[in-house]
Amino acid sequence: MQHFVVVGILVILTTVLTYLGLDVAGLAKHQHPVSASLQSISIDQLWNWEMMVISFLFSLIIVPMLYSLIVFRQKKGELEDGEHMEGNATLEVVWTVVPIFLVVIFAYLGGKSLGDVRRVDPQAVTIFVKAQQFTWTFEYPEYGIISSELHIPVNKQVVLKMTSADVIHSFWVPEFRIKQDVVPGRYTEYRVTPILVGDYKVRCAELCGTSHSYMENAVIVDTQEDYDTWIAEQVEIAKLASLTPEGQGQLLVARNGCTGCHSLNGTRLTGPTWLNIYGREEEMNDGSKIVIDDAYIAESILDPNAHIVATYASPSQMPAFVFTDEEIANIIAYLKTLK
Amino acid sequence: MLGALFGAVSFLVGCGVTDDWIKWARGIDTSDHHEEHWHGWEKFLNVSFDHKVIGIQYTLIALLLLGVGGTFAMIFRTELAASQLQFLTTDLNLFGQTGPQLFNTLMSLHGMIMIVSILLGISGIINYAVPLLIGAADMSFPRLNAFSYWISVPAAITLVSSLFLGGFDTGWTGYPPLSARAPVGMQMFFMGVFIAGWSSILGALNVIVTALRMRAKGMTAMKMPIFVWASIATSIISMTATQFIGLAFQLVMFQRLFGMGFFDPAKGGNPVLFQHLFWFYSHPAVYVFILPGLGVISELLPVFVRKPLFGYRWVAMSSFGIALVGFVVWAHHMFTSGMNEYLRVPFMYSTLLVSVPTGVKFFSWVATMWKGRISTPTPMLFVLGGIVVFFMGGLSGPPHATVSTDLHLHDTYFVVGHFHDTIFGGFVFPFFAAIYYWFPKATGRRMNEFWGKVHFWLMTPSFFILTFGMMYVGLLGMRRRIADYDPALGLDSAHLILTIAGFAIFTSVIIFGINLFYSIKHGEKAEGNIWNSRSPEWQVPSPMAAHNYSKPLEVIGEPYDYGLKDAPYTRFIEPASAGKSKH
Amino acid sequence: MSHSQNKSAALMQGVIIAIYLAILTLLEYFVAVAFDAVPLLIVVAIIKAVLVVYYFMHIYKLNQKDSDTNHESYAYKTITNRLGLWLFLISDGFVFAGLLVMRINLLGLTRPELNQTLGLVVTVVLLLSSFFMNRGEMQMAHGDVKGFMRNTAITFILGLGFLLGVVMIEWRGVPAIAEPILHFFGEPEGMKALTPSSGDASTGPLGAVFFMMTGMHAFHVLTGLIFLFVVWNNARKGVYTAEKHWGVEAAAVYWHFIDLVWIFFYPALYLIGTAVGAP
Ligand code: HEA
Ligand code: HEA
Ligand code: HEC
Ligand code: CUA
Ligand SMILES: [Cu+2]
Repeated sequence: MQHFVVVGILVILTTVLTYLGLDVAGLAKHQHPVSASLQSISIDQLWNWEMMVISFLFSLIIVPMLYSLIVFRQKKGELEDGEHMEGNATLEVVWTVVPIFLVVIFAYLGGKSLGDVRRVDPQAVTIFVKAQQFTWTFEYPEYGIISSELHIPVNKQVVLKMTSADVIHSFWVPEFRIKQDVVPGRYTEYRVTPILVGDYKVRCAELCGTSHSYMENAVIVDTQEDYDTWIAEQVEIAKLASLTPEGQGQLLVARNGCTGCHSLNGTRLTGPTWLNIYGREEEMNDGSKIVIDDAYIAESILDPNAHIVATYASPSQMPAFVFTDEEIANIIAYLKTLK
Repeated sequence: MLGALFGAVSFLVGCGVTDDWIKWARGIDTSDHHEEHWHGWEKFLNVSFDHKVIGIQYTLIALLLLGVGGTFAMIFRTELAASQLQFLTTDLNLFGQTGPQLFNTLMSLHGMIMIVSILLGISGIINYAVPLLIGAADMSFPRLNAFSYWISVPAAITLVSSLFLGGFDTGWTGYPPLSARAPVGMQMFFMGVFIAGWSSILGALNVIVTALRMRAKGMTAMKMPIFVWASIATSIISMTATQFIGLAFQLVMFQRLFGMGFFDPAKGGNPVLFQHLFWFYSHPAVYVFILPGLGVISELLPVFVRKPLFGYRWVAMSSFGIALVGFVVWAHHMFTSGMNEYLRVPFMYSTLLVSVPTGVKFFSWVATMWKGRISTPTPMLFVLGGIVVFFMGGLSGPPHATVSTDLHLHDTYFVVGHFHDTIFGGFVFPFFAAIYYWFPKATGRRMNEFWGKVHFWLMTPSFFILTFGMMYVGLLGMRRRIADYDPALGLDSAHLILTIAGFAIFTSVIIFGINLFYSIKHGEKAEGNIWNSRSPEWQVPSPMAAHNYSKPLEVIGEPYDYGLKDAPYTRFIEPASAGKSKH
Repeated sequence: MSHSQNKSAALMQGVIIAIYLAILTLLEYFVAVAFDAVPLLIVVAIIKAVLVVYYFMHIYKLNQKDSDTNHESYAYKTITNRLGLWLFLISDGFVFAGLLVMRINLLGLTRPELNQTLGLVVTVVLLLSSFFMNRGEMQMAHGDVKGFMRNTAITFILGLGFLLGVVMIEWRGVPAIAEPILHFFGEPEGMKALTPSSGDASTGPLGAVFFMMTGMHAFHVLTGLIFLFVVWNNARKGVYTAEKHWGVEAAAVYWHFIDLVWIFFYPALYLIGTAVGAP
């Protein structure tokens, strides 16, 4: 009997300590990263509650185990066996039935929390998301804007309709807590109501190839005014750009996600940088040298495998694109500006 | 690819496993008893039909693969020690792959090699122990058994060859469409797993038949050693579900070879279908990994606690409970995949339900330890370590299972932490326990206790640090399967600690390896019942004779009646009443 | 069915079951043509499957008790082997179950446009081959090696016919052979071939599913044929007797299993849903 009392007290003590320990490590109530969406609140609550139950279950098993290990240890020279106990049906039933109840409660809360997360606001703003190796593009259908940054207004539900151009990706903003795969050939939906203004990042969470690590784009939660200003700016930029060839080229580049692989600042990503691209001499993987001109750029875009730049993988990581001659000319015009 | 298949087949014919079948097909009589041609260590490199030799062969190849997979882990862990790319840079070009590609290949191969290594390790323990525990002379189909072992060799080679053939970057799950585009290495990966799958299917079939047909006289179902129960439960899963991963991989192979658009949306295919087929196997498979491990725990615990296994029936049945419920939970890996929304709730319930039979095991173990006479030689240390580690892994399961929390956790290091815990606790620790425990049976010598304890005390704390750290960084936003992480996350120091812990584990396993090979020749002699166990294999001197027991066994008591005097589990039937005896 | 039953009764039973199966197959065909009733097709397929599993594959033999407890005896080993074989078939059954899942997921209630006459003919051929296989096995059980060899040869030829029917004609892999035979079945000339990669977003991956399912089945037919040849050849050498013919039983059960799979594949490919696609 005395054993049970001691163990009981120790279990309670360890439960509290475990939970506090988790909390200090930032893994229970005060969870990081910050919670920046309405949905994350409900998720964090469930999480916190789970950590409590888990702390208790952990102690429930570990404490009696350690206790037995210390108290019922075989002494030196002791040879006889332990007490002959075969089992106890009541106990077995108890530790089958009680966990079943626990499971039902867990699942009920899980379901409820899922309901919160999926709650639909009919006023939600729709934004289209296209994922491709290795970048995201966001389209605002109401304004005809295409951007590589996601700007959303605070305290308003947005619904992202997402699809992929190639393989499976996954949309995840850790601060929002939710994640949703982006599958080619269909649209998946992501609802979020941001509640905290700030700069975040969408991080692709499904392995999608070589540069999966870098498939991160900015997600910016703006106040309503900032958001409106940004929209207005973008509309203006788009209007101006569509007037010149290089501007149109820039739009095409944004729309097709080229900068997911080509940097504009000289760093090497999946593809060669575009800084100073026009007119530079490039070595191909067959040893030949090519000076980058209009024809070569057109070929690179329409049939990337025709020539592959030295030190890049063959077959080319770059997908073949379909553009009209005019579009190609516009892209070339834009590339020429990158000095 | 055809080359790989052809190579595998000619390897098998060449090494002679199939000799008897070919004879049979030509109508030539084959004998049932094979005299071993090889002696000493050479018999482990040649075809043998003795289950003990095959068991050891399996164990050795499993350890070898553990080493290969572990080394890969150390390579990519080193890269992860700090943010930015250090040596797997984009300028690197090795085996036709740039640094990040090589990272992906190593990471994916680490996952798959480890899993194949587990499957082989399981076959190793089961092959060695099950016939001994049930008092049989061998498995039911010794030739099939040898065949299952020998095809795993080309499987492993094919799998590893993918590293040199352009690699692949899909993770061990190989989701299309990505896997339908990856380089040729992918094809080798699919082939290798496919062949390994056959090894596991045929092995499992053999185990079930053996356990049903070859038991000693008087060994009714409720008197079987608990490990045999676990083996049957495991085998049921591997025998059936494995076909699904085989099929899924075959479909991707055909998509790649012939342009058949099963998973290609452009051709009306469905990428999510692959995930269903894949997880229909791969979830039950995780229970394949642990059931024998938990069986080992249940088998060894009474020996070192000197008390009967608490609630034998319940523990036996819980293995089946886990196996059966395990078949209907697969979609919990797909909560975010874009499958039908409404499926998520039923799958949440079924997933959580697995906790119940698993819990029964834990409670029974604790009750077994209560008021025992516990001693802690090395195998027992690994048993205890296994329980605790697996428990951490098990408890990190429900947060995944409740859908809304999984939306955050999916594809982060939290998942990685969860499954390293479950796999280590459910398989790796018990595997080491089993090796330390049965090593004297196989060799007549025991492994060094001191170095065994060093192995344990180095590995366990490092392991806690490794997996707890993984869960920690996962919650903070560390995604899985990335070669480089955002320094802004502030995880550099945590990752450095993880890497150091990983190296500590690596070192401890090397210590184990040296201990293992050294003890074969130089270990302390141990020919008697050194663990003072009740099970039949310890009632005869070690090492075990070629055809196991010289006289047939009869079961006359309960397997785990420690604490009762003069109530043995088995006895030998004296030759007079036993008909013809085996040589 | 016990061993004491006499030979002609056993053979008679085979005939009756074959007639049942034939009637059910025709029923199935007409149901599909006339009503398009999927549940009914499923029921019919299940009835057929039960008949085959019980009367042809003798599943009840699994329940047989050991008459001889000596683990080395032929009788004891046969029971062990039988258990092993059945487990293997269950395992293999999962492959086909997986293929059916794939078919339902990808095609739903549509199916490829195929030659119905040909489908019915090959199905009947396969069922007939099962009948002869059963007959052969019965004869072997009564020690009639000659009868066994004769019936197995017929099974082999029918099986080969099935294989050629599916692979050569239905697959249209070799037009030179396929065209004239197709003409015989009333297929218009110059039809568009179903290719493994045919299928676009509107028709779904018809070709892929069709080739995968028939291909996997054909692979099993092929191994079954090899198996049949091996036991036939062994019988010729006088390896088997009335008491000791496990090899024959195994070959027979395996062959019936192939038939069993087709019982489900036939409606799944030819009968269920509306036809869309290639031709
Ligand atoms: C050995 C292997 C093993 C084992 C045993 C388990 C056990 C469990 N796993 Fe795990 N799992 C993996 C290996 C394993 N898993 C792997 C490899 C992956 C990742 C695959 C990949 O994507 O690469 C994974 C991923 C994974 C996911 C998907 C995560 C994601 O990708 O989003 C989920 C989701 O539900 C999950 C849940 C569970 C649950 C509920 C259990 C349960 O079985 C745990 C049950 C045990 C306990 C709960 C503890 C003891 C019980 C009690 C003391 C009783 C009382 C308790 C309660 C009532 C809660 N696992
Ligand atoms: C058996 C299963 C198993 C084991 C043992 C391990 C062991 C280890 N794993 Fe692994 N891991 C997986 C299964 C396993 N892992 C799986 C399935 C994945 C998922 C892959 C995917 O996402 O696709 C994964 C992924 C994975 C990741 C995530 C990668 C990513 O997402 O980017 C990480 C990161 O730290 C990691 C680390 C480690 C480390 C440090 C060890 C260390 O414990 C390793 C220590 C080293 C050894 C154990 C070997 C030492 C042995 C020798 C030197 C030979 C001695 C010789 C003899 C004994 C003969 N693993
Ligand atoms: C998935 C990654 C990826 C995307 C997206 C991508 N590229 Fe590329 N690109 C590459 C790689 C890798 C190379 C180098 C290998 C080669 O020559 O094919 C390359 C090479 C090029 C070159 C030749 C550069 C040189 O230095 O020789 C041009 C021009 C180019 N890409 C234009 C584009 C344009 C325009 C787009 C968008 C419409 C685009 N790329 C999108 C990966 C990509
Ligand atoms: Cu996109 Cu990872
Ligand atoms: Cu799972």
